[in-house]
Amino acid sequence: MKYCTLVAVAAASVSAFAAETTWNHAYPELMEALALAGNVENGERAFVVCQGCHRPMGLGRADGSYPRLAGQHANVIIKQVIDVQNGRRANIKMQPFADHANLSAQDVADIANYLQGIQAPSGQGVGPGTALALGRSMYATGCSTCHGQEGEGNAQKFYPRLAGQHYRYLLREVRMIRDGDRLNAHPDMVLAIRQFGDEELAAVSDYVSRISAASPPPDANTP
Amino acid sequence: MVAVALTLCIHGYGPSIAYASDPPEIVKSVCSTCHGIDGNSADPAYPKIAGMHEEYLTRQLSIFSLGERQNDQMTEIVAKLSPKDFAGLASYFSRQRSSPGKVGAAELAEKGRKIFEDGNVETGIPACAGCHQLDGKGNGRFPRLAGQHQTYVVKQLNEYRSGRRNTDPLMSTVGQRLTPEEIRAVAEFVAGL
Repeated sequence: MKYCTLVAVAAASVSAFAAETTWNHAYPELMEALALAGNVENGERAFVVCQGCHRPMGLGRADGSYPRLAGQHANVIIKQVIDVQNGRRANIKMQPFADHANLSAQDVADIANYLQGIQAPSGQGVGPGTALALGRSMYATGCSTCHGQEGEGNAQKFYPRLAGQHYRYLLREVRMIRDGDRLNAHPDMVLAIRQFGDEELAAVSDYVSRISAASPPPDANTP
Repeated sequence: MVAVALTLCIHGYGPSIAYASDPPEIVKSVCSTCHGIDGNSADPAYPKIAGMHEEYLTRQLSIFSLGERQNDQMTEIVAKLSPKDFAGLASYFSRQRSSPGKVGAAELAEKGRKIFEDGNVETGIPACAGCHQLDGKGNGRFPRLAGQHQTYVVKQLNEYRSGRRNTDPLMSTVGQRLTPEEIRAVAEFVAGL
């Protein structure tokens, strides 16, 4: 197990795509969608089938049931949707809606580019605010390297933007990643948070939820 | 004299119903029997098609004709029409005014409103409003639900649930996830839109 993790870490640091069936393996459906030019207008139209859950403009829900998608890197949206489509990311609720029968590769590319360009307002759901100092220091030492000082993520490396995300969603996902339930988690991240209890994860999620949504917007020119 | 009267009737100058424009011959002789001359059906088993989008109606006629959508009565009726007629029929009905629905059970309708506007996050049902619009008027892709007969809505959702209707994979998932009570609630709510 440890050896495999070391290999995964080495591979991931060399390129955004790992060679083996590890995180962000360059599998065909993903590569197909990434190669397409996304059309924002078509994406807005196609997004209609998503907004029944993710809400108009992809603002998501503060109760954490459905994440905010507005302002997320197109790369990240594409990867996550395709991963959900074929079960690499565990999401029984979404999988049938993301199926190829409903979303073509072009739809995914279009929608991702539409969402990337939305400047989400603030007003995301935040946590109780009782352990922000802990959350801030956890974020600085453990998360900012990949997710950025301002939670802006990294489009090229497929690390999601966290700024503007709802607290309850962040908490649920970070717990799933720690516990191995998400299935498409980056092995580095699993390692990084493995030792944290629920209260610590709540603290860092709360801190992240309060990063202003007006943090640096995604770079529209990143591939 | 009779010929003149007949001509006047055919051109819509006769007495009776006021409709937005002159119904095509096929509407008078075929569609109106079930759907009403203006697309507002009297019998709740038959959908109101008044005010549905032209694109949606055209597509329904087309998929009945191709057998992608099944209905014992429509399949037989559409088989006797020419596809050239579809656009004209769809255009006519899309321009008619939909009559208000009849809402009976207010409490049930309120339950339906929550599903229509918020979906069910536990079971993964999207808000109907996402596709069908908040006012239920729909568009070319997703049908108008506002004012529709409860009986018909329940029937369609059950058909999506059972797979008897498989015209839209999204709706198949929705149908499978809705409970029978939720189906009745949503139908009650949209009738009042």
